[in-house]
Amino acid sequence: MTGLSLPLIDNIWRVRGEVPIDPAMSAAEAFARIDPLLRTPGTALSDDGGVLTYTKRNPQAQDKLATFTRGRMWIEQAGAGAVMRFDLFSHALLLCFLTPLLFLAFAQMAIAINEWEAAGAEASEKAEKKDEMKPPAVKKLNPVDEFLGAPAPEDPSKKKKDKKKDEGRHSPDEGYVLAGIFAAIYLVGRWLEPFLVRRRLRAALAGPPPAT
Amino acid sequence: MAGVQVGKRIIGADAPVTVGWENIGKVEGGPIKQFVFTYFQPVMLFAAIAFWYYAPNWLAVASTAIAIRLGWTITLLVLEWINPRYESWQLTWKEFATDAFYVALGMTFLRMVDSYIGDGVMVEAIQGAFDWDKFNWFTGLPLLVQAVIISMIFDFGQYWMHRAMHNWHPLWLTHAPHHYITQLNVQKGAVGNPVELFLIGLGIGGFFDFLPRAFLLAGAIGMTVSVYQHINVRFNTPSWWRFIFNTVEHHSVHHSQDYEATRSNYSGTWIIWDRMFGTCVDGEAEVLGMEGGRRMDIGETMIFPFREGWRDSKAWFAKRFGGGSGGGTMQPQLEPAE
Repeated sequence: MTGLSLPLIDNIWRVRGEVPIDPAMSAAEAFARIDPLLRTPGTALSDDGGVLTYTKRNPQAQDKLATFTRGRMWIEQAGAGAVMRFDLFSHALLLCFLTPLLFLAFAQMAIAINEWEAAGAEASEKAEKKDEMKPPAVKKLNPVDEFLGAPAPEDPSKKKKDKKKDEGRHSPDEGYVLAGIFAAIYLVGRWLEPFLVRRRLRAALAGPPPAT
Repeated sequence: MAGVQVGKRIIGADAPVTVGWENIGKVEGGPIKQFVFTYFQPVMLFAAIAFWYYAPNWLAVASTAIAIRLGWTITLLVLEWINPRYESWQLTWKEFATDAFYVALGMTFLRMVDSYIGDGVMVEAIQGAFDWDKFNWFTGLPLLVQAVIISMIFDFGQYWMHRAMHNWHPLWLTHAPHHYITQLNVQKGAVGNPVELFLIGLGIGGFFDFLPRAFLLAGAIGMTVSVYQHINVRFNTPSWWRFIFNTVEHHSVHHSQDYEATRSNYSGTWIIWDRMFGTCVDGEAEVLGMEGGRRMDIGETMIFPFREGWRDSKAWFAKRFGGGSGGGTMQPQLEPAE
């Protein structure tokens, strides 16, 4: 699809594969059978010398091929039988692959802001000291709650020094965890989506010929 | 389409909406499935309340709430898989990844921004300006009463903010991307433009001094009630529940492609606010979205309010000062003045 040849890296966003077809089936009939899969809103189709090409613009949520925004399909003879080969391109997989980087960046941003604010806080620490007024009063539970046995609130004056203040205002942890989660989502998608495409193509090709 | 008259309005004239509890779908399956999907919601609500009521102080902290929330989301995703409400709402890998992106954005970048300009900052400023000690008697109320008050005050604010979003064009532009979702799933509540998520998060419950445990209890009510507004699960919701609380039935009507139907069921947790203010429509809908169900991708969601706002104000200026002939025509507005 592009002039560039990226043999390994492009496996991130490209999915190539094949499904067996009945060797007696003509290319036209095979394409006719998978036509309902492709004839969805926002999809442009063209048959170019035995190669079926499609592009999707913002496919609907329930579009069976929504993950793969561009693709080509053609028939090849393989030994005694025949296969339909496909070569699909996915914006979604590529973006999902890059998403962990975004959340790692947010984590780094949290650390950078914390450091920057800590530097500013040291300068104004002396000014803050007079803020320490009378300790807040201990709150009591309503008698109803005491009777029902809810734990009493903590005495705020016994509380240790606010830990959060030392660690800074923002935590990078969410960013790290989410980067991991998106890496996992990518791996699941890279396996699941090609699996579903193969299954759907096989079912469409094995199904009854479409009524014309 | 004929539609159904509800009060003074015709609901379901543009797109199919089922009106009335007697007409909505029911859980299909054996007695165990019927039992589980009838009592799941109330049991989980009472379990969450009991947990936060009795949990010792070291356990009753925000990080526990976050861990529970994660496990809870996974549970609800499993329910969606077991007993979907509509096949046409089923989660795909791409939808799941997209929804997760919005949730993640809210947990990282938006939270950082919010800590500087969010309601916490405003509440602090206002608390600093008045002597709020006069409200100390609030903390002496029974915990559950405090929790219900917090939850209802917060939802009251959300109700009016949400209703304003459907009635004033600049606010609508921020909220519109959320209405482009074409199906409801557990994480869909996070889908939308960040400006909207910021506005809807402005709470007015924080002005009073409540006990921390009361806040956790209020959070538990929200987590086990309003979480169901975007979920693809078929429940036999008890009638007392759907009289008091918002449900996916109510919220699917709100997300319908039918224009009048979207102007109903504004509350997040307490549908009784809608009943009081005359905007409640009991029913359900399957066909959701805007512009005939066009899906809005992440990029467009991020720029939509700014792009449309720029276009509309340009058109307005052209109309106002350009002698009427210059510039484009103004877009027809979707929200007439009430």
